[in-house]
Amino acid sequence: MRKPPYPTVLKPYGTALLDLARADERIVCLSGDLTRQCEVDLFRDELPDRFVNVGMAEANMMGIAGALARAGHVPFVHTFGVFATRRPFDQIVNAIAYPNLPVRIVGFMPGISSPGGPSHQAIEDVALMRAVPNLTVVDAADATEIRQVVPAILDHPGPVYLRLKRGEIPVIFDDDYEFSLHRARRLRLGGDALLVANGMMLPAAIAAVDVLVAAGVDCGLVHAPVVKPFDAATVVDAASGVDAVVTAENHTVVGGLGSAVAEALAEAGAGCRLRRVGLRDTFAEGALSAHHLFQTYHLTTQSIVDAVWEASRRPDPVPVAPRSPAAAGEYSPV
Amino acid sequence: MDPILESPHDLDTLATRIRRHAVRMVAAHGLGYLGQALSAAEILATLYARVYRPRTDRIVISPGHYVIGAFAAAVETGLLDEAELATYGHDGSRLEAIGTERSPGLDLTGGSLGQGLSGAVGFALSDRMRGRTEARTVVLVSDGELEEGQVWEAAMFAAHHRLDNLVAVIDANNSQVDGPVTEVTTIEPIADKWRSFGWWAEDVDGHDTKALAAALAAAVAADRPAVVVARTSTTTGLDCLPASTDGHFIKLPAELAARAAAELESRLA
Repeated sequence: MRKPPYPTVLKPYGTALLDLARADERIVCLSGDLTRQCEVDLFRDELPDRFVNVGMAEANMMGIAGALARAGHVPFVHTFGVFATRRPFDQIVNAIAYPNLPVRIVGFMPGISSPGGPSHQAIEDVALMRAVPNLTVVDAADATEIRQVVPAILDHPGPVYLRLKRGEIPVIFDDDYEFSLHRARRLRLGGDALLVANGMMLPAAIAAVDVLVAAGVDCGLVHAPVVKPFDAATVVDAASGVDAVVTAENHTVVGGLGSAVAEALAEAGAGCRLRRVGLRDTFAEGALSAHHLFQTYHLTTQSIVDAVWEASRRPDPVPVAPRSPAAAGEYSPV
Repeated sequence: MDPILESPHDLDTLATRIRRHAVRMVAAHGLGYLGQALSAAEILATLYARVYRPRTDRIVISPGHYVIGAFAAAVETGLLDEAELATYGHDGSRLEAIGTERSPGLDLTGGSLGQGLSGAVGFALSDRMRGRTEARTVVLVSDGELEEGQVWEAAMFAAHHRLDNLVAVIDANNSQVDGPVTEVTTIEPIADKWRSFGWWAEDVDGHDTKALAAALAAAVAADRPAVVVARTSTTTGLDCLPASTDGHFIKLPAELAARAAAELESRLA
C-alpha cells in the first residue's frame, strides 16, 4: 500500500472496460448522456457498434439494459450514481433485479464528491441498491481496485451496482492487491479499535490509523468494497476484543456500510461500541469544492479519529490529524 | 398472401375461445382481470396466431394484468398446456394474476406499468446489433400506461434509432383503476402523438379482426417502429355483463359466470 499523497490516474474504469470489451463481444455499453464523465468515451470511440447513448432517459435505459441482458448481452450502464439509482429505482427492481439479470449499473460521482448540490449527490445510492434482492453493491476505492473489479463482475450471474469516483482516481494499492467479490480485506490487525471503510473514505481511514497508532491505540483496518453481499465474518473476526468499531463511508449513515457493519456485529453478538462516520442523515449544501463538503459534514480523517476516541471513552485529549496537502495530480485524504 | 392477413386460424373464433378461457379462470375466483381479456381478445388472437412467431420473435405484454389473455392465447397456439389454466391465480401457481418472471407463453411482462416498451426496445436493439433482420418484437401496451413518462422515453428512442422491427399495439379500452382514462388524463390524440414521435401509426376498431390484421401487416412492413391503436371496450363479447360493470376488475359471481360460459359456448357451437 502506498503512502499519501497518492498519485492519480485518469479513466482506469473506462480503460478496463474497453480492454475487456475488445475480447468479449457480449459486452454492450449504455450511457445516459454522461459519456465522457463516465469514462466510456473510450468505448464509444473504439467500439461504436456496441455503444448506445440512451440520452437523459434513465428509466428507459434500465428497461433496455434488462432486455439486452435477457437476449444474452452483458450491458454496462453508465450515468452519475444519483441518476442511476434514485430516478429509475422501480425500473431497476422490475427490469433487472427481480429477473436477476447480469446488468452492471455503474454510478459515478458518489456521495458528496460532487459540488453540484443535493440534486447531484448520490448519498443514499448504496442504501437503495443494498435493499434490493439479488443486487451486488461495490464501492471501489482506487485505480488498482477498479481495474480488478471490472473483470471480476463480468461473469457474475446477477446485477451489480458499481460506485465509482469521477475524475482523478488515486492509486492506493500496489499491484499485488487482490480484489474479491466475497472477502473484505484486513489491511491492518489491531486489538484496541477497528476501522471499516471503503470507497473515497479509505484514504482517510488509512490516515486515521496512522494517527491513532501514533497515539497508542492499536487500531485495525478492514477495507470492505463489497457492501452486499457483506463479508460479515471478516468484520466480526477483526472486531473481536476491540473497544470500538468505527465505519467510514461517503454516504448517509443510514443503510450503507455502517448499517451493514452494525447488522453484522449485532447478529454475531459482538458487544463493542459502534460509531458511523458519514453523512448524518442530512443533505449537503453550500460547496464549490468536494473538499469543503467533506470538512463541513465531518467526513474527514479527524472525524474518524474523533469517533474512535469518543467510542473508546478515552480520557486523554484527542490526537490531531495532520493536514496532508495534495499538489496538482495528487490525491490526499481530507 | 401475407400470413398476417390469412392463416388457418379463424381469428373471431379464436377471440371467443380466449374469452371462454378467461371466463373460466376468473370464475374460479369470482372476480379478476376479465375486462383486460375481453378488450384484448381480438388483439391477442391476431398477435399470437398471425404476427408473433415463437423462437424467431419476441412478445412483450407490458401491462402484466393482461397475462390472463396471453395465457389463453398461448394455449390456443400450442405454447401452453390447457390444464395449467386451472391454476391461474391460485397459491403456488406460476400463472399469477399479474405477470411475473415465471409467466409462460411470453418473453417479458411486468406489473409496474409503463415499462414494457423499454424492454421491447431492448429486444429490438439486440436484434439490430446481431443482424437478426427477420426477427420482430411485438409489444402490447395499454392506454392507461401512456400516462407513464417512460413510455415516451422509449418511443423517442425507438424512432431515433428507427427500430423498424418493433410493432406495438395499444389496447385503447379507456379503462384504468379510477375509471375511464378520459376522466383521469387526456391522452388523445393517441395516434397523432406517436406519429409526432416518429412512429408509423394507425387507429383501428380493436374488435374487428380484419382491420387489426390489415393494420398489423402494414405495421410489420413499415420502415419505422409502428403502433396500432386498437379501440376496444372491457365488456365486448359478453352481452350478459351488467351495464355497471367495472372493467378493470370484473366481479363474476357463480350465476353470472354460468351465464357468461353459456353465452360463449353458444357462440362457438
